[in-house]
Amino acid sequence: MHISDGVLPLAVTIGGYAISAGIAAWSARRIHSRDLPKIAVVTSAFFVASLVHIPFGPTSAHLLLPGLAGALLGPAAFVSIGLGLLLQCVLFQFGGITALGANAVMMGVPAVICGWFFQQVRGRARMPQAVAGGLAGALGTFLAAVFLAGLLAAGGEDFFGVAKLALAAHVPVIVIEGVVSGFTIGFLARVKPALLQSSFRDAAGLVHD
Amino acid sequence: MTEVHHIQVPLWYLPLLVLIPAAVTAAAVPWLRSRLKKQVVPGNVPDWSIPPLDDGRGQGTSLIHRWDVRCKIVTMLAYSFAVASLRHPAAAGAAVLISLAVLLAAKVSFHKVVLRVLALAGFLGMLLIVMPLTVPANPGDTLLVFGSLEWLEVNVRGIVLAATIGAKAMAVALLMEPLLATAPLPVTLHGLSRLGVPEMAGQMVLLSYRYLHVFSHEARRMTAGMKARGFEKKTNLDTLRALGNFLGMIFVRSFERTERVFDAMQARGYKGRFPDPGRLRIQWRDILLTGVWIAAGTALVWFDWVKG
Repeated sequence: MHISDGVLPLAVTIGGYAISAGIAAWSARRIHSRDLPKIAVVTSAFFVASLVHIPFGPTSAHLLLPGLAGALLGPAAFVSIGLGLLLQCVLFQFGGITALGANAVMMGVPAVICGWFFQQVRGRARMPQAVAGGLAGALGTFLAAVFLAGLLAAGGEDFFGVAKLALAAHVPVIVIEGVVSGFTIGFLARVKPALLQSSFRDAAGLVHD
Repeated sequence: MTEVHHIQVPLWYLPLLVLIPAAVTAAAVPWLRSRLKKQVVPGNVPDWSIPPLDDGRGQGTSLIHRWDVRCKIVTMLAYSFAVASLRHPAAAGAAVLISLAVLLAAKVSFHKVVLRVLALAGFLGMLLIVMPLTVPANPGDTLLVFGSLEWLEVNVRGIVLAATIGAKAMAVALLMEPLLATAPLPVTLHGLSRLGVPEMAGQMVLLSYRYLHVFSHEARRMTAGMKARGFEKKTNLDTLRALGNFLGMIFVRSFERTERVFDAMQARGYKGRFPDPGRLRIQWRDILLTGVWIAAGTALVWFDWVKG
């Protein structure tokens, strides 16, 4: 799910850059600067995970994972997602350099919200955590779809149809994403619960000086 | 021009103008994509989401290869925004022509260019199908009605709008190839940090790019293992559970590896920065090229303004 170049009005693209720069600065301040290399490495794992295709009837959908990123990384998720989008738009086949800021807001803000939501809702036991993870996964994709539709609709009345369609097309993805995120969180709660702690820094268990 | 024009065209125009071209495109894009993937990557790296990075290093002698990387980044970024702001189809078409000229000048690999265009095809194809049908009919618009199918009104303005967007997206995306393929990634990132982007940002790009390959290799191995155990992707809950566990496993392994990577970096004396890849010097030639380019961007915007 990407907005490519040339779709959004110029003001929205520049505004997207400004907002995402602000949030990225906030997000980076929440992490120890020495941990940033780790966030970078984890980002590549998320990137690879998002390339997994899930069959859906005759077609397939690939995961977006903002909810899961938020649940695992907390505030660092915004930096991570911005980095992932930069990689995707520059090094890989998409363009979208002008829409990068808007795309980062669209995916990153839901991730941070979901991370917060997950930490509020989850319990100690495995099942509640899995359910909370599933909700966070579904919520993340839902919010991202709403942001996408909103950004598209910012282009004016001509884009309303596209925005509605984009929103509708995400309904199955929301369900799939929720279920898969629930299973993933359940798996992590069973196998390595330390990863689900409040922030990436604690989970990594780094000794700080 | 205050009324909506209706143009009645015979019903058999529908397959001729719409259905056949759409079907041909829908069939050609996956075919081309799979063919090119096979051609470009001989066996060892079958996944083209991970392209080789340093194509063009050393062998590049074109004007753009020798362009100072800072000038290149600033110019490309400014020019991309100029292109993205265009409104008139003719101006957007001109932007595509300029991009193609740059590609020729930079001697970029043709395969990579086609792959980039194909990667855009999904989103742009969606716009091209949806917009003509959903753009509201404003005064002065022309609607095509196919024979007796009166519910199917195709708005010509929607087609033009979608095509303009497609041309702009193409023009910008095509420029990414000469921007990145004409200098090794560390040099480009060094240029970024010299432009005031926090150095850590560039390092994070380098690190995550490097580990992307490692993790995708690992994911492929895990997929092979799952297939060996008889796993088959279907639309059911078992598949989703298996994939959820698969993702969980990727995260567990990657977090653990992250720790080891970071320990190893620190053991080698990592203090928050990598060594500089070399010195950058701006010459008059660089500034001249930047000037020419910015002039082209300004001309496009001016042309757009005159037209629109």
